Amino acid sequence: MSRLAEIKRFVLDEFAPDVVADDLADDFDLLDNGIVDSLGLLRLIAWVGERYDIAVDEVELTPDDFRSVEAIAHFVDSHLPLLAQEGLR
Amino acid sequence: MAIGYRDLRSKVARAAELLAGLPGEEPLAIISHKSPEGLALVAASTHLERPCLLLPVDLGARSRAALLDQAGCRFLLRADTHAVEEVRAPAAAPNLDGVSLLLTTSGSTGIPKIVPLPRNATAAFIDWAATEFGIGPGTVVFSYAPLNFDLSLLDVWTTLAKGGHVVLAEQDRAVDGKYLLGVFTEAAVEVVQAVPLFFRLLLDAADGRSFPAVRELVSTGEAMPPALAARLPEAFPNARLRNVYGSTETNDSFIHDIDPVAGVATPIGRPIDGVRALVVRDGQVVTGAGSGELWTATPFQSGRYLDPALTARGWVDAPTGDGTYFRTGDNVTRDADGVLRLDGRSDLQVKVRGVRTNLLEVEHVVTAHPAVHEAVVLGLPDDVAGHRLHAVVRLCPDATLNSLQLRQHCATRLPRTAIPSTMDIVFDPFPVSPNGKVDRAAVQASLREGVREHVAAR
Repeated sequence: MSRLAEIKRFVLDEFAPDVVADDLADDFDLLDNGIVDSLGLLRLIAWVGERYDIAVDEVELTPDDFRSVEAIAHFVDSHLPLLAQEGLR
Repeated sequence: MAIGYRDLRSKVARAAELLAGLPGEEPLAIISHKSPEGLALVAASTHLERPCLLLPVDLGARSRAALLDQAGCRFLLRADTHAVEEVRAPAAAPNLDGVSLLLTTSGSTGIPKIVPLPRNATAAFIDWAATEFGIGPGTVVFSYAPLNFDLSLLDVWTTLAKGGHVVLAEQDRAVDGKYLLGVFTEAAVEVVQAVPLFFRLLLDAADGRSFPAVRELVSTGEAMPPALAARLPEAFPNARLRNVYGSTETNDSFIHDIDPVAGVATPIGRPIDGVRALVVRDGQVVTGAGSGELWTATPFQSGRYLDPALTARGWVDAPTGDGTYFRTGDNVTRDADGVLRLDGRSDLQVKVRGVRTNLLEVEHVVTAHPAVHEAVVLGLPDDVAGHRLHAVVRLCPDATLNSLQLRQHCATRLPRTAIPSTMDIVFDPFPVSPNGKVDRAAVQASLREGVREHVAAR
C-alpha cells in the first residue's frame, strides 16, 4: 500500500469508518469539514509519529500539516528520518 | 511573546483609526481570533462605544451570515489581520443603546442566539471579578477560553482593565497538553479559570510538576469529575479551588469551594452577592429545600436576546415581582443549608469540550440535508470531551449519505464542537413515545444493545 493510501486508510478507519477510500479526495479538508476535530488531530499526530518514526514532539508543526491526506503525506515525506529517506531502513 | 501596555495602546490607537473610518451605527462583526491584535480591535470598538458582535472563529459560514443579518452588521472584521469586508448595504440596525458586546450562545433552531451585554453589566462584572479573585496591576491571569466566550470577560477584559498580565492560549491548540503546559509556565500564573478538560490536559502533561504560584483556580463550564478534583491540591498547593456556575446570558451567578476529597460532584453552591436565584417547579417558587428549574437574575446580565421572540421564552418576570429572571434550563436541588446542586438539563443540551451544545440545533441542521428523512442526535458520554455527538439518521428513499458528506454539510452551519463525530444509518422509523415524539431514550438504548447495524461499507 502506498503511503498516501495508508494514511487515507487510517483517517477513514479512525474518523469515518463508513466511507470507502475512493470517496475521500486526497485534498479534502479534514479540519474545515469537521472530520478531524481538535482531539482527533492529536490522535492523528501521534499515529503519524509512531508509524513513520518521526519525533513529532520536536518538530514545529501546524494544523495545516494535517489538513488533508495529501498534506499529511507531504509532512511525512519531509520529516522522515534520514535513513528511511535513503531507503536504508 | 509578551507585549507591554505601551505596545497594546498603540495597537488600540491604530485599530481605533481603522474603525473611525467605518461609517454608520451598525454593530461591527468581529471574527474573534485571540491575539494582541484581536484584543486591540475589540478594545478600540468598545472605546469608541460602537457595539461589536464577537463571532466564534470556527462558526460555519451560513450560521455566520444569519448572525450578521440578525444583528444588522454592515462590516465584518478579522481580529487577527484587521481585514475589513463590507457584507451588506447600510440598513436599520436593531436598538443597541448602551450595549458594548454582542455574544452568541447555542440555540435550538440551527442559528445561535445573540446576547447583547449592556456596558454597565460588563463594568459591574469586571468590578466583581477583580475583587473576588484579587486581579490588579501585574496579576498574571491565564486565558484558556476562546475570546468570544463570556469567560473572557474575566480572563482577558478584567485583567486588562485592572492593569494585569494576561497569558493567551491559542484556541487552535487548546487540547494539546504539551503546548498548554508550555504557555502556562511562560509566566507565573496566579489566576486561572477554565473548563475541567483544561486542568486534566495540563496535569497529564505536567507529569507530577506543581504550580505553586497559582492562588485562584476556577473550574467552570461543567462539573469537575471527582477523580480530577482529587489531583488538584498536589498540583496547585497554594490555590483556593472554586467552581463557578454561570451562563452567557447572565455571566457568573454561583460560586462554591471545591472539596477535592469529597468524591462527589461539586455543588454549584450559593448565589454570588447581588445575584438572585429562584428554584421554580410547576410555576411555583420553591422556598427552602426542594427541586426545580433554576432561574437567575444577576447584576451582569443581558436581560434579553436580540431576537424578541427568543427573549419571550428565555426571560421571564418572576412571580416574586422583583424583575426579569433568566430561565437557565438547568434543574437543581436546594438542600436545607441553601446549597444548590445541578440535576441535569430540562432540555437537550450537553457540553462538548466545555461548549454548551443543543442537540436539537444539531438535529435541525442534520435533518436539513436533502438525503435525510429524519435524524436523532445523541450526546454520548466521553471520558475526555465530556460528550461526543452521535447522529442516527434515517435516509429518504433511494438517497445515499456518508459521514463525510454529513459532516461537510454540518461544518458550514455549526461550530466544530457541534459536528457529530459518528453516524449510524437506520432503515426503520424511529421508535416513538406515547405522546408521538421520537423516543430518544429508546434510540440510544438500541445503540447500546448493538441492534442498529453500524454502517461500515468498505
